[in-house]
Amino acid sequence: MTLVRYLVRRVYHSIPTLVGALLFIFILVRVLPGDPARLIAGPEALEEDVQRIREQLGLNKPIHTQFIDYVTAVLKGDFGRSIKFGTPVINEILFRLPYTIILALVAEAIAIAIALPLGIISALRPKSKTSYIASVISLIGASTPVFWIALILIYIFSVSLKLLPSSGADSPRHIILPAITLSLVLMGNLTRITRSSVIEVLSSNHVLTALAKGLKDRIVITRHVLKNALIPIITIMGLQVGNLLGGAVITETVFAWPGIGSLLIDAIFFRDYVLVQGIILFMVLVFIIVNIVVDVIYAYVDPRIRDVLWRMS
Amino acid sequence: MENELILKNLSEARKKQLIAMWEVFKSNRVAYTSLYVLLGLIGLVIVGLFYTPYNPYDFDLSRARQPPSLKHLLGTDELGRDILSRLMVGGRYTIGISFISVLLGSIIGSTLGLISGFFGGRIDTVIQRVVDVALAFPTVLLAIALMVSLGPGILSLIVAISISTFPTYTRLVRGVVLQVVNEDYIAAVKLLGKSSWYIMFRHVLPNVLSPIIVQTTYYLGFSILLASALGFLGLGVPPPIPEWGAMISTGRVYLFSSPHIVVFPGLFIMITALSFNLIGDGLRDALDPKSRMFLRRF
Amino acid sequence: MEKVLEILGLRVYYELPQGTVKAVDGVDLDVFKGEILGIAGESGSGKSTLALTIAGLLRPPAKVISGKVLFRGIDILRLSNDELRSIRGRKIGIIFQDPVTYLNPIYTVGFQVGEVFEAHRGGKILKYLNEVINLFKAVKIGDPERRVYSYPHQLSGGMKQRVLISMAIAEKPELIVADEPTSALDVTIQAEIVELLNEIRKELNTSIVFITHDLALLLEIADRIAVMYAGKLVEVGKTYEIYKDPLHPYTKALISVLRYERKRRPTPIKGSIPSLINPPPGCRFHPRCPYVLPKCSQVDPKLVNVNGRYVSCLLVGGSDGGGS
Repeated sequence: MTLVRYLVRRVYHSIPTLVGALLFIFILVRVLPGDPARLIAGPEALEEDVQRIREQLGLNKPIHTQFIDYVTAVLKGDFGRSIKFGTPVINEILFRLPYTIILALVAEAIAIAIALPLGIISALRPKSKTSYIASVISLIGASTPVFWIALILIYIFSVSLKLLPSSGADSPRHIILPAITLSLVLMGNLTRITRSSVIEVLSSNHVLTALAKGLKDRIVITRHVLKNALIPIITIMGLQVGNLLGGAVITETVFAWPGIGSLLIDAIFFRDYVLVQGIILFMVLVFIIVNIVVDVIYAYVDPRIRDVLWRMS
Repeated sequence: MENELILKNLSEARKKQLIAMWEVFKSNRVAYTSLYVLLGLIGLVIVGLFYTPYNPYDFDLSRARQPPSLKHLLGTDELGRDILSRLMVGGRYTIGISFISVLLGSIIGSTLGLISGFFGGRIDTVIQRVVDVALAFPTVLLAIALMVSLGPGILSLIVAISISTFPTYTRLVRGVVLQVVNEDYIAAVKLLGKSSWYIMFRHVLPNVLSPIIVQTTYYLGFSILLASALGFLGLGVPPPIPEWGAMISTGRVYLFSSPHIVVFPGLFIMITALSFNLIGDGLRDALDPKSRMFLRRF
Repeated sequence: MEKVLEILGLRVYYELPQGTVKAVDGVDLDVFKGEILGIAGESGSGKSTLALTIAGLLRPPAKVISGKVLFRGIDILRLSNDELRSIRGRKIGIIFQDPVTYLNPIYTVGFQVGEVFEAHRGGKILKYLNEVINLFKAVKIGDPERRVYSYPHQLSGGMKQRVLISMAIAEKPELIVADEPTSALDVTIQAEIVELLNEIRKELNTSIVFITHDLALLLEIADRIAVMYAGKLVEVGKTYEIYKDPLHPYTKALISVLRYERKRRPTPIKGSIPSLINPPPGCRFHPRCPYVLPKCSQVDPKLVNVNGRYVSCLLVGGSDGGGS
C-alpha cells in the first residue's frame, strides 16, 4: 500500500538525523568533566575497581568503537544501566513514562479545547471580546516563564484557596495544576496559529466560490474554511510536541510530578549521566517519531501533498 | 554603466523600505510603547551597573522576607537582601546573556544559511543535515543537555542558547536567499564580475536583514525565558549571582509566607519577554508579507 | 425586451486606510433575457467589483453607497442573507477568473459541484452523483464518471474552468456573471470556453454578463457591449454599432487599436488609468483624451441616449451634463 511505502520512505529519510542525534548525545556525555568510571565507583574506590568498571563500560576502547557499541546497544533497546539505581535505564524510563503521557495528554486536551475555539472565533470576529482574549492568551503564552506560572498557580490554588494539592501524583486531583500549567505553554501558540490559519483561508478564493453556490454560512465555515485551516494546525501541533516535552521537564519539576521530565532533572543532580543520556535520547526519539506521524497525517489530509509524496515513494 | 545605476537605485530602494518599515512600526501604538517599556527596563539595568539602593549581596537575616515598603520598594528576600537591587544587578545577566547569545546564534545561523542557500550543492547538504539534527531536539531539551555537558556558568549559558537558536536562522535565511538568488538584479551583479562573497554580503544579505531583525526580536524574548528557566532548574548561572530565574528558584521555598520574593522577578521576566514579543509583532506587521512566511514565534 | 437585471445609480466604495476607493461610481445598466452583455474595461476600472455586486458577494471593506440592483424587479442589495443565499447559485451563477484558486484543493470536484444541489435541494451530496455526471457531460469534460472523483490539482486549467462553469449552470440560472472567465487560460482553450458559454446561453436561454479586458473577445461573443472606465460606464451599445462607429473617445481608441492591429502601428492611449481614490475632476478620461475641451475638466458628463445608444461625452449628442 502507498501509505506503508510512504511511511518506510519517511523513516528511511530520518535515519541520518537520528544518527546525528545519537552522535551528538554520545559526544555530550564524553566531554563531561570528570571520569564516569570514577563517578560510578565513588570517591573512595580503589584504582583497580575504577579500572574494572571502565572495562565493563567499554571506556578503554577507541572512541569510534565505543560509538558503534553505543548505537548497537540502543538499536537493541539497551539504553545502559543507571549509575544511581543500578537498573536498566529503559526500565526507569518506562516506569515513569505513563505519568508524563497522562500529563501531556490532559494538557494537550485542555489546550486544544480552549485554543481552537478561541482562535476560530477571533478569526471570524476580529473585533470581538473573544478576539481580544485570544491575543492576551497568545501573548501570555509566549512571554511568561512556565515555572513562574506554576508557582503563581500554587500560591493561588494551594496556598491561598487550599483547593488543590501542589505536588505529587497521589490522586486524580493532583494532575489539575500541572496540566493547566503545561497547557498554558501550548495554548498561546496554538491560539495564534489557529487564528492566522483561519484568517488566511477565509480570504482565499475558494471560499468565495462556496458562498456563490448558495451554501449556508455554517457549512462554508466548517467545510471550506475550518477543514482547510486544520492542515497547518496539525503541523504546528507536531512541532509543539517539542515544547510539550521541554515544558514537561519544568512543570514536572515544580509539581514533583513523577514523569520522565522530573526524572531527567533528578538524574542531572545525581550525576547519573547514563540515565541523563537515556532520557534525552528517548525524548528526541519521541519527537522524531511524532513528526513522522504528523507528516503522514498531513499527507493524508491534503490530497495535493498526498499525490506528490505517494507517487514519489 | 547601466548596471551600476540599477544597483545604486536598489540600495536606495532598500533604505527607503527600511525607513517605511520604521514608519509603520511607529504608528503601531502597542509596539511603540513596548519599545519604551523595554528601554526603561534596560535603563534600570544600566543604572544597576553604577548604583543600587542596597548592596545586592549583603545579607542580614534580621530584615529577611520583608514585604514591599518605602525602605525596600520590592521587599527583601529570604536572606534580607533588597530585591530591587538584586533585580537591577541580575538583569545584566538575564538580559545580557540573552543579547549576546541570540546575537551569536543569529550571526552563526545567518552566515550558515547564506552559504547554504547561495552555494547549494554539497555544502548545503552538510549544513542542512546539521540543522536537521539540531532541530530534532526540542529547544529546551537541547539547552538542558548542553548545560549538563558544559557545566553551569555564564559562558556555558551563552554557548547553549546560541546553539539552541542558530538552526532557525539558518532555515529562515536559506529560504529567503533561495527566493532572492533567482531575481534579475543578482544576475546583473554577477555580470559586473564581483566575487560570490561580495554579492552575498553586499546584495543578498540586505534582503534577509528585515526578517532576521524580526526573528531576533522574538528570540530575545524567548531566550530570556530560556535563560531564566535554566536558572530556575539550577543549570544556569551559579549563586549568589541574582539571575532572575535563579531568584525565583531560591525564593520558591518561601512561597507560602512571602510570595513577593517569587512574584517580582517573575514580573520582570514577563515584562521583558512581553515587550520583545510585542515589538516583534509590530516589526513583523511592518514587514512585507513575502518574507513573513519564514518567521517563527514561540 | 424582457429585463433580467436592472442596475440603477450604483456606487460601491472601498473604505481603506489610504482613502476611499470609488470602484463603481454611478453605474446604470440593463441586462436583457438571453443576451450576452459584455463589459469591457482595463484592470482597475471597477468591473470585478461590479461582478461581485451583481452576484451578491460583496464583502467588507466594500460598501454599497447608493443605487439598486434589481434582479427580476427585486433589489438584491436589500435582501436578507437567507434570501440572497437562495438566489446565489440557483438564480444567479458566477464564474471566476482563476480556476486554480477558486476550487477547494481538498475536495473532489464532483463533491464541490454536488454542493450546489445540496445547497438548494437539500439531502446528501452523493444523491446527486448522476446530475453532476450529466453536468460534466454538458460542459464537455471527458470521462465524467471518473472525473467526478478527481481533485482539482489533477485537472488542467481548462478542465477546472469547465468544472466552475458546471457549478454556475447546475441549477439553470437566469443570469450568469462571468468575470474574466478565460484570461487565465491558453488561447485555444479560451476559444473552447467561449464557445461553451455561447452554447449554454442558447440552450438555457440564460443571460450572461461577460466581463473582460479583452475587447476583441467581446466583439466575437457579445450581443451588446458596455465600456467601463475608472468606475463609470462611458458607452453602451450593440456590438456591431460599437465596432462600426464608436462614439466615446476612449472606445474609439480601443477599437482603433484592434482595427489597425495588422496594418500599421496603432497609437496606444497615452497615460494610464487614474487612481480610483482621487479620480480626475470632470470627465475621468479627459487627461488622456485627444479631443479634450476646456470644459471637460469641469463638467462630469452623464450617460445619455444617442439614437438608441448610450454615451457619456461632452462632444457627443449635445450632452452638457446639466452643468453640474
